[in-house]
Amino acid sequence: MKLLTGLFWSAVAGAAALCLGAIALHRGEHINSIWLVLAAACSYATGYRFYSKFLAARVLALDDRRATPAERLRDGQDFEPTNKWILLGHHFAAIAGPGPLVGPVLAAQFGYLPGTLWIIIGAVLGGAAQDFVILFASMRRDGKSLGQMAREEIGKVAGFTALITVLLIMIIMLAVMALVVVNALKGSPWGAFTIAATIPIALFMGLYLRYWRPAKVLECSAIGCLLVMAAIFAGRSVAQSAALAPLFTLGAMALAIAIIVYGFLASALPVWLLLAPRGYLSTFVKLGVILMLGVGILFVRPQLQLPAFTRFVDGTGPIFAGKIFPFCFITIACGSISGFHALIASGTTPKMIAKEGHARPIGYGSMLLESFVAIMAMIAACVLQPGVYFAVNSPPVTVGATPAAAVATISSWGFPVTVTDMTNLARDVGEQTLFNRTGGAPSLALGMAHIFARGGGGRAVIGFWYHFAIMFEALFILTILDTGTRVGRFMLQDFLGHAWKPLGRTSWMPGVVATSAVIVAAWGYFLIQGVRDPLGGINSLWPLYGTANQLLAAIALCVATTILLKMHGAKYLWITCAPLAWLVAVTFTAAWQKIFSPVPAIGFLAQADRLEASLRAGAAADPAATQTLIFNARLDAVLCGVFLALVTTILLDSMRVWVGILRGTRDARVCEAPYVLSELRAEEL
Amino acid sequence: MRRLGRFILALLRELADESAYERHLAAHGRAHSGAEWRRFSEERQRARYAMPRCC
Repeated sequence: MKLLTGLFWSAVAGAAALCLGAIALHRGEHINSIWLVLAAACSYATGYRFYSKFLAARVLALDDRRATPAERLRDGQDFEPTNKWILLGHHFAAIAGPGPLVGPVLAAQFGYLPGTLWIIIGAVLGGAAQDFVILFASMRRDGKSLGQMAREEIGKVAGFTALITVLLIMIIMLAVMALVVVNALKGSPWGAFTIAATIPIALFMGLYLRYWRPAKVLECSAIGCLLVMAAIFAGRSVAQSAALAPLFTLGAMALAIAIIVYGFLASALPVWLLLAPRGYLSTFVKLGVILMLGVGILFVRPQLQLPAFTRFVDGTGPIFAGKIFPFCFITIACGSISGFHALIASGTTPKMIAKEGHARPIGYGSMLLESFVAIMAMIAACVLQPGVYFAVNSPPVTVGATPAAAVATISSWGFPVTVTDMTNLARDVGEQTLFNRTGGAPSLALGMAHIFARGGGGRAVIGFWYHFAIMFEALFILTILDTGTRVGRFMLQDFLGHAWKPLGRTSWMPGVVATSAVIVAAWGYFLIQGVRDPLGGINSLWPLYGTANQLLAAIALCVATTILLKMHGAKYLWITCAPLAWLVAVTFTAAWQKIFSPVPAIGFLAQADRLEASLRAGAAADPAATQTLIFNARLDAVLCGVFLALVTTILLDSMRVWVGILRGTRDARVCEAPYVLSELRAEEL
Repeated sequence: MRRLGRFILALLRELADESAYERHLAAHGRAHSGAEWRRFSEERQRARYAMPRCC
């Protein structure tokens, strides 16, 4: 039996190596997407079987006889032992956001290979290990948050800095996510109507759940899903109506303002009315669509049209400027390693783990699933014709303002596309144009629609699937936006409450309104900046967000390293130190280049200098707008610098603690909850 | 197949907070009512929407 098991795992590991080798070495003809699926699945299986087992048994020493906080502090609500597969689904639903969908689509500008390799390798060796260790650490500390663990294990400076960093990162994240929605919906009456319809649908669901059928969440969500599908069907009629279409044909600025107003209202309104029903709807739609996409890819097995590498590995990419190192790695973001996962892994989930051994599938396994979502997004982007992919994702300032100029530029790069191709495609999906749809969401929706339509229905249904995919992306991005604004408000109230107590009270309406306005104004400012940016906004904001997200992962890895050091000395330091060193190299290089690169498309300061020179030479078409662009470029540079300074503070503070522990001059005791023998029976789960 | 169906339903009920509500009723020895659901969901949502969502 042992021999058979050994042979089986040798075959899986061999298949992983074979598939990775095949996609890495394949050149010339198109490669089938199934190679990517197999490479990912076999690598994940091997990583889970061997690496996570090693982490669980040797490093973390998971002990099923030890009572978890879910058992010791059981209260029927927050602390509740839960079946491991249900909790895995719950945790996966919490960590799966738009990052792993949009990031790989943008990174596909380098070709499918760099992004795919980083998604697989980064997740197995970095992201999943980070999530697992943080989940374990929080579980052993009664479900403490990342900030609390940083304060207890490293020190007060690290704890406070981590809180500030999280708030700043959230503001950038909200702005960039809002920009993705704006770019997906601008000039699209069908899309704008569908998303607008989700607001009254959510309000209806809120009232339904509170007054008409309390506690019937599944029933209510099923009705909500049906209404959303009806809205997608109705959207086509709206887009074709001479009277209604102009009402829902909004420009980028109008959409940005609408989203800002929505964010403010959602933050200030009672949770049950809008946020909670929208959250339920978004969760079910998200899981359903991810499952559909997985089945669709396996069923259709499309060929990848993008090459392994494009010419833009040299850093001259039209979607975002910069070379593969470091920009591919910060662009992929959540698909391979995400700082935000550490916040979720130190939140609700550790309070619901029934047995310590369950932390392995939940912590490590969920991240592998998230990484698989990123692979599917990469496939969806790469099934598009390269010319179409670049026409959709490139801003007019890079490729030309007219369709003829854009296709001429893109074709000159070696990716042939015609105006007729783009016009026909836009007509098929019910859009006026698909040029200059930066942000990744429209090209992902096109790729998904292509896969779903090939599953049945063909061109006749591609418009429905495109808008279904846009609805899915916008719905859960807006869910993150409204929730994030509210969380940001709570964090700000928490800070300000120390200065003046009434501001800290979440029930005091003037305080609620004022702090909501501050948070919305903060991310709204960056959103407007992105809308006005001649390079499309994504070029400057996505790298800023990607850097920030990876810096948050660096903070989580600092906490994880400190805990491993206290548990084992230097023996297993490499587990978290290797990904930490990589992240520090990537993020610090990216941040440095974003601030100081002499190439204006990359460096914020160089961009400001170039604009200032054009202003002085009298070449700027709109001097006031140019002044704003100069200010924004410098603001982005400062923000990048602040991120670096904050993370450097935590890094240095952590290193001070590590040196102290290794020298024996510092207390190396871990701050775990006391050992209590578990009395939980298997039938209770 | 039946096990898979049961698992999917249990997962959906957990995601929908219906299982948590049942546990809440059992833990406090209370019966279901509109007011009880509102009390439960307000407390649960307050905690949930104080946590950042993942990107």
